[in-house]
Amino acid sequence: MSNSIQEEVYEVDKLTILDCGKIKLSKEPSGYLTLDYDGKVYRKVNPTRLVPFVSKTTYISLSYENEEKEFREIGVIKDMKELSKEQYKLLDDYLEYKYYMPEITKVYSIKDNMHGAIFVKADTTSGQKTICIRDWYQNFRMITYDYLYVNDADGNKYFCPNIHKLDKKSRLVLEMFT
Amino acid sequence: MNLCLSKPVTADADVVYSLPYNFTADGVAADGHFCVTKEKILIYLKDDIVKEYNISDFSEFTCQQQIGTSMAQGITKNGETICFCAFTQDKFLRFAELLKLLDYYVRTGDFVIEADTEEPVCPKCGLPLDGAKECIFCTNKGKTMIKLLKRIAPYKKYFVIAVLCTILSQLVWVLTPYLDRIIIDEYVTPKSTEWAGFAAVVITVVSLLLLAGVFEFFNMKNSFKVALNLGRDLRQDVFQKSQELSMNSISKRTAGELINRVSSDATKLEDFFTANGKDAIVKILSLFIIGVLLFVMDWRLALMTVIPVPVVFLIISKLFNAMSIRYTKVWKKSVTHGETLHDILNGIRVVKSYGNEVREIQRYTNCSEEWAKSAVKAEIMWYLTMPVSEFILTIGNFFVLYFGGSMILDDAMTLGQLVQFTTYVAMLYDPIRWLIQIPRNLADTSVSAGKVFEILEEDSDVRDVENPVELDIKGDIEFDDVYFGYKVYNPVLKGISCKINKGEMIGIVGHSGVGKSTMINLILRLYDCTQGEIRIDGVNIKNISQKSLRSQVGVVLQETFLFDGNVLENITYAKPDATFEEVIKAAKIANAHDFIVKLPDGYNTRVGNKGYQLSGGERQRIAIARAILHNPKIIILDEATASLDTQTEKQIQEALGKLTKGRTTIAIAHRLSTLSNADRLIVLDKGKLAEFGTHTELMRAKGVYYKLVMAQRQTTKMKKAVTTPATE
Repeated sequence: MSNSIQEEVYEVDKLTILDCGKIKLSKEPSGYLTLDYDGKVYRKVNPTRLVPFVSKTTYISLSYENEEKEFREIGVIKDMKELSKEQYKLLDDYLEYKYYMPEITKVYSIKDNMHGAIFVKADTTSGQKTICIRDWYQNFRMITYDYLYVNDADGNKYFCPNIHKLDKKSRLVLEMFT
Repeated sequence: MNLCLSKPVTADADVVYSLPYNFTADGVAADGHFCVTKEKILIYLKDDIVKEYNISDFSEFTCQQQIGTSMAQGITKNGETICFCAFTQDKFLRFAELLKLLDYYVRTGDFVIEADTEEPVCPKCGLPLDGAKECIFCTNKGKTMIKLLKRIAPYKKYFVIAVLCTILSQLVWVLTPYLDRIIIDEYVTPKSTEWAGFAAVVITVVSLLLLAGVFEFFNMKNSFKVALNLGRDLRQDVFQKSQELSMNSISKRTAGELINRVSSDATKLEDFFTANGKDAIVKILSLFIIGVLLFVMDWRLALMTVIPVPVVFLIISKLFNAMSIRYTKVWKKSVTHGETLHDILNGIRVVKSYGNEVREIQRYTNCSEEWAKSAVKAEIMWYLTMPVSEFILTIGNFFVLYFGGSMILDDAMTLGQLVQFTTYVAMLYDPIRWLIQIPRNLADTSVSAGKVFEILEEDSDVRDVENPVELDIKGDIEFDDVYFGYKVYNPVLKGISCKINKGEMIGIVGHSGVGKSTMINLILRLYDCTQGEIRIDGVNIKNISQKSLRSQVGVVLQETFLFDGNVLENITYAKPDATFEEVIKAAKIANAHDFIVKLPDGYNTRVGNKGYQLSGGERQRIAIARAILHNPKIIILDEATASLDTQTEKQIQEALGKLTKGRTTIAIAHRLSTLSNADRLIVLDKGKLAEFGTHTELMRAKGVYYKLVMAQRQTTKMKKAVTTPATE
């Protein structure tokens, strides 16, 4: 599987901000995306949020691996808002799936087993769960003053964009651990 | 691992493996199954087959881990990548295992049917144990404290003496109110002039107090012995364990965190035992004795005293969880504080060179302040509750005084009896107050105990087998189909097979991140390979004792770490019993002797924190002298000259040449010219062994190595072109 263009000299020190008007993304069987940009077609394109905890739709890097399995960045989308409605939806859906991360909406209880693990009973956007977190002081942490980031024992990730907007009981339970 | 978790209702009997997935290949949330028969892969959506693939059309199967989801992929013989389905990370390990089996099937034609091995689960809650001895969910706090108590066993003699002395001193204290009552009722109230009797009672009181003092002395002496020994044992054990754990476990924690556990947490447990260890038995005993005495003296008054106690205990038990959580928070903040301090001081050169002192002071101040704030919060909560519970607790005393006073007026009780009674009441409050304090102390301690035992009970994932081989290494090394990944299912090295002969100098080359250092880590057995075997002199590395293996392998790394001490101590680190002559010889061979002579205190020059006073090349030569003294059979050079200038590199190369003579040497170097004296070169590419041969053979083959050499020559030329005008 190769990209349909002859590889040009890859300028590792050059930041290319992509012109959203020229971007045409489509899904492909590999699970990645195909990008048609400025007359060139790139296969197995992997979009990445450069600042996932700060913004989900700005600074999106589009990259692929060449035949030598070397990383090649095509460029960076500064703000997805500049994409067409249909392209925005396609990319946003893809990113939401790649970064699948249920949001914590309510916290019922947190049990600490005093062996480095905690068990958080919470409502999330993918249903009610008891999330088991090992090494919790590493994997249950505040990224910013508001943003809670959780990485559970299985590697699933959860987040709460603003713990201060949760209900009073949740805040009380969380307060002890954040 | 169970790879047939559930099947679609309509699935045929020939489906061997079936795993549920929750996203389609397009990334749309779905409810389906990934099923495998001996010939086909069937993708079910609910109970219907939506896609069907022939396994024989594929040449490779992989599991691609993304951020929140992962993909099951296959690469067809035409080189096209197909995504079968995607899933959340909790399903990742099973999918990775299944795809590994499929990959093995297409590579070897051997379809492995894995038995549905039962995965050990917790008998209480049913959660998988994941290799742990106990379920992390069900382990209770009490058990941790019991484990702590068990560690007293070696010092039980001192412990028993301490307890006995405390019981005796408590008995003396119980006797004194009775004597007070005699003084009041027999001598003070009747205004008796029988001085001899009065003096006898007073002398008895004084003697008893002196006796209590003696008991107290022996009690303290023995209690401290137990607590200090316990603390020392814990510190040593935690430290020893931190040395024994594999690199995998160690890299999960920061140095600051480990330091905290060795010093601060172990000390907290020691303090707890000094203050509360034997008290627990004694206080509970005195609570019982005084309680009985009070009830015998007057059960109605006694009842008034104890009625508020359950209320106080109820408040305190409610408080326990909240306190425990607050102290966990204090612990977390103190760890962050320790880590930050360690981080900043460790990088002090960077801080200073960027002039960021103020920013770092601010960062440290914030941490320190947060720690203080969290501690204040925990203490405030405690001290807000204390006065209230204290008031409720002692309210009974006022009733006793009121009703006791009335009884004296009615001649139902003597003044001496009331004084004796109220003294006992006051004495009863002492163990109760202690019991009230216990949740706070226990909460604080159990957090530390939990952290300490978490390390003590962790199993190292790189362990010696039973009766490991003590091998006298000759130097043959063989990699046999070795797979390894820092994350088990994301292999860094794939199917590496090669044979390195005794005395050969082998260079490992390849792009960054291709697995060069990983190969070395595996030879050192800092990690165990996930598949395949590494053999030294024909013996599987896993069967060789780690001590025997590492004592015969010498390592020179890019960043040389010199311990705080003098040059001599740093060289003899590898062989503490070496004679001074041996040390000088080693230093001579390493081209280090000459510069050491010029140092102010010769071999006794302190090289200080990380040896900052020495240049990179000098430090490197000390490391080489260390390795020479070690007299290893296998030598590993991991970018040993990468951070040095060409002139110094030459000197080091010369020293290395003497070190590696006649010994199996494996060297990693980015500068390919450094490896010019290598007998053969291993070329790694995409985690696989791409080429293996001499420089000339590889250059002729015009493969990966040739490209690397050409690319580097190009860069050198470009560098020259850039630097020439500037230097002119």
